[in-house]
Amino acid sequence: MMNIKRVISTIEKNYILSNLKKGERIDGRGLWDYRDWTVKCDVITSAEGSSEVTLGDTKVITGLKYEVGPPFPDLPNEGVCTFMAELLPLASPLFERGPPDEQSIELARVVDRGIRHADCVQTKKLCIKENEMVYILFVDIYVINYSGNLIDAGGISALSALISSQIPEGKWVDGNVEWTGNYLTGETIVNELPMVVTYGKIGDMIFLDPSLPEELVCDGMLSISVTENKLASIQKSGTATFSMEEIEMLVKKSMELAKKIIKELNLWQYKR
Amino acid sequence: MENDQDDSTEEPTTEDNEDEEIDEFDDDETTRDLVVPGEILTEDTENFLPGRGTIFNSERTKIISLNIGLKQVKKNYINVIPLRGFYTPRPGDKIIALVLDKNPVKYICDINAKEEGILKPKNTVKRGKPRGFRGGAPNHQDDSTEKYEVGDILIVKVLSADRLNAPELTTVGKYLGKRRDGLVISIDPPKIPRVIGRSGSMIKMLKNLTNCNIFVTQNGRIWLKGGDIAHERLLIDAIKKIEREAHTVGLTDRMSVYIENEKKIRGIN
Amino acid sequence: MPLIIKDEYPEKLFREDGKRLDGRDKHELRPIKMEVGVLENADGSAYLEWGNNKIYAAVYGPREVHPHHLAKPDKGILRVFYRMATFSVFERKRPAPGRREKEISMVVTDCLDPVLFLELYPGTSFEVFINVMDADGGTRCASTTVAALALADAGIPMRSLVSAVAMGKIDGELITDLSGIEDKAGEADLPCAITWFNEELSLLQFDGTMDIKEFSECLVLAKEALNKIHEIQLEALKKKYIDIQEQYKGGEKGA
Repeated sequence: MMNIKRVISTIEKNYILSNLKKGERIDGRGLWDYRDWTVKCDVITSAEGSSEVTLGDTKVITGLKYEVGPPFPDLPNEGVCTFMAELLPLASPLFERGPPDEQSIELARVVDRGIRHADCVQTKKLCIKENEMVYILFVDIYVINYSGNLIDAGGISALSALISSQIPEGKWVDGNVEWTGNYLTGETIVNELPMVVTYGKIGDMIFLDPSLPEELVCDGMLSISVTENKLASIQKSGTATFSMEEIEMLVKKSMELAKKIIKELNLWQYKR
Repeated sequence: MENDQDDSTEEPTTEDNEDEEIDEFDDDETTRDLVVPGEILTEDTENFLPGRGTIFNSERTKIISLNIGLKQVKKNYINVIPLRGFYTPRPGDKIIALVLDKNPVKYICDINAKEEGILKPKNTVKRGKPRGFRGGAPNHQDDSTEKYEVGDILIVKVLSADRLNAPELTTVGKYLGKRRDGLVISIDPPKIPRVIGRSGSMIKMLKNLTNCNIFVTQNGRIWLKGGDIAHERLLIDAIKKIEREAHTVGLTDRMSVYIENEKKIRGIN
Repeated sequence: MPLIIKDEYPEKLFREDGKRLDGRDKHELRPIKMEVGVLENADGSAYLEWGNNKIYAAVYGPREVHPHHLAKPDKGILRVFYRMATFSVFERKRPAPGRREKEISMVVTDCLDPVLFLELYPGTSFEVFINVMDADGGTRCASTTVAALALADAGIPMRSLVSAVAMGKIDGELITDLSGIEDKAGEADLPCAITWFNEELSLLQFDGTMDIKEFSECLVLAKEALNKIHEIQLEALKKKYIDIQEQYKGGEKGA
C-alpha cells in the first residue's frame, strides 16, 4: 500500500470497501481472520515482567515495574495496577512527540478496562499489610511499529507481561517491608484471561482486526473485551454507528474468537 | 457535459515511460559489490573520479562511498547505485501525487519527497483549447481549484524543481491526470528502475503474466489495476519481491518463474 | 516510592580469578547484535542488543520541519530524540523525558552531525528517534552506534559510519565497555565516539578521576574496541542484502 499519510486517497478507500463487499481483503485474509500472532516473554532484563507481541506488522513491547506504597483509603487491602501506553514516534510517521495524545490514552484505557473488569489481576494478593503497604504495578505498553489494531496487540501484551512477571515478595516486619527471598509470579497475580477483540466498520461492512490501511479508512471500530464466559468491557470509537443486531452478533463472535486465540497462544506457558 | 470530462481518462500504458529508463542495477558496469558509507572504493585517484554517491576524502587520496549500494565503474567515474534513499524531484519526472489540501489558488500534493508539490489550476487545463460548450458558460476551471478533491490520486509531471522552491506540477500531458480507480503501492524509490527493467523488460513481463495495468513512477509509487483482487495481490507480492531482491542477478527470469509458480499455487491464471 | 529489593553494588568489581563480574576480561566487549531495517514504517531503522541494552532507532527524513520556526534556510537540521522506556532501568523512570535524556539527545545530535551533508537539504529535518527498551550501562554509546546504522539504512548520504564505546576505570584498572554496575560503582567513565571518515572523536565525555598517562592509554584502547564495533556495524548493514544475494548465487547476470 501507499506510504502512510494523514490524508487517505479516495481510490484506496473505494478499493478497500469494494473488495470488502466481495468478502476479500487486500492481505488475503477472510473477514473474520486475525493476522499472525507471535508472543515472546521475559524480553527485558530490567523489568519485573515483559513481553513482545506482534500482530502482523504491528509490534508492541510491554514491561511491568513495581513499587510499594500506601493503598487507596477506600480499598485498604488491595494493590494497584496501572496501565500506560506510549505511541512512540519511531513506530509511525503519524505519531508525534510530546505528552500522550488521545489515541494513546484510549489504548491504555481500553486495555485497562478490559483487564480491570475481568477479575484478571488479583489486587487482594498484592497487599502486604492492610492500610499500610500494597504493591503498585505499572504496566507500560510501548508501540514499536504501528500497523493497525493496537488495542488487541496491547491487550495480549499487557496480559502476557503480567503472566510472565516475577515480583519480590515482601512481608511486614515492625513497620517496614522486608524481602522474604521469594517472588510473586503470574500464577498468583493473574486469574482470568481476558481478551480484547477489535472490529472495524466501513459503510455497512464489519471485519475483524483492521490492518493499517483498513484502520485509516474505516468509519469506526468496536473493541469488545471478554473472558471465557463473560463480557468485560466495550469501546466504540470513530464515527460509525452499530445496530443492535450487529453488536449482539459481534459479542457472540468475540466470545468464540477469544476462546480460540487464548487457547492457541497458550499464555500460561510463559509463567515463571 | 464535456467540461466534466477529465482530459486523461484514457488508461495509461507503460510504453511511454519505459524506453527512457535504463536499469542501472542490471547495467554491465554495475558490480554485485555491496558497499557502505565510508567504504574506500579506490585509492587510485589518478585514473578515477568520484561520480554519483561518492566523494574524495579530504586529502583527495581516496574515493569513498556515501551510501549503501552497489559499486559501479563507468569509464573513469566510480558510482554507487544506492539501495535505499528518498525521491528528489527532477523536472520532467512523471510521478504519482496525492492531493493533501487545496485553497483557491493551488493544490498541495504529497509527492513522497521532502517538500510538498504545488499544482496551480492553470496547469490542470490545456491551454488554447476552446473554452465552454456550444457557446455556453465559460469554463472557470483554469482559475479555480474545483477540478480535484482532497484525497485524489493524480499522475503529474514535475514542471520545475530546485533546492529552494517547492516543486511545481502539471496534469496537462499524455497519461497525466486523475486516476479514478485502481490502487497505488509504494516501494523504495531507488528500486524503481528494477521494476521497469532493462528497456522495460520487467514491466512487460509483469503486465503480461498478471493481466494488470501498471504505471510505474519515479517517486516510488506504482499505480495498478487488474481484473480481480487475486491478480492484483499476486502483482503486489511480485513487486515486493523485486524490491527485496533488487540487488541480485537474474531477477527478471526468476520473477517470471515465481509468478508462474504462484499462479499454480493460488489457482489463478 | 520504595522498592523491596535495594539497588546495591558490590565492593569489589573484579572476581577472584581476575575477570569482571559478568565474566569478561578487562578489554572484552559484551556480546553485540545489530540488525537494520527492523521497522516497516520508518525511512531507516536499526535494532541493537549490546549486552543487556536493547535499543531501537528509527530515522524519518528529509521531511518538513515541525514546528516551522526551527527550519533553517541554508541547511537541513538533524534532531535526535533519545528516550528510555519506563521499565528499562532498575527503578521505574517517569514517562516524561528528563534532563538526562535531553542532554544525551543533544550530545548524540552533535556527534552525528559531522557525517551528514545537511547543507544539501535546506529547510528540512532529519529526525532520529532512539528508544532504549532495556538499559545496562553505556546507552549513550550504544545509541550513537545504532543511530548511525539507522541513518545508513535510510540511504541518507554519509561520509562514514560512527561507532562509540564507553571506557572506564574500576578498582584502579582500565577497562573497556562499562556495564551498568561498573558505570555506577566505578571510578571513571569515558564515553567516546569516532567518525570514521577522519578518525576523530566526535563524542567525548569524561566523569571521574584518572591521571594523564591512564587517559592516553584509555584512548588507545578505545580505538581498538571501536574498530571491533565498526566491523560489527558494517557486517550488520551488509547482511540484510548479502543474505538475499547468497540465496540466489550462481544466477546468470543480465538475462
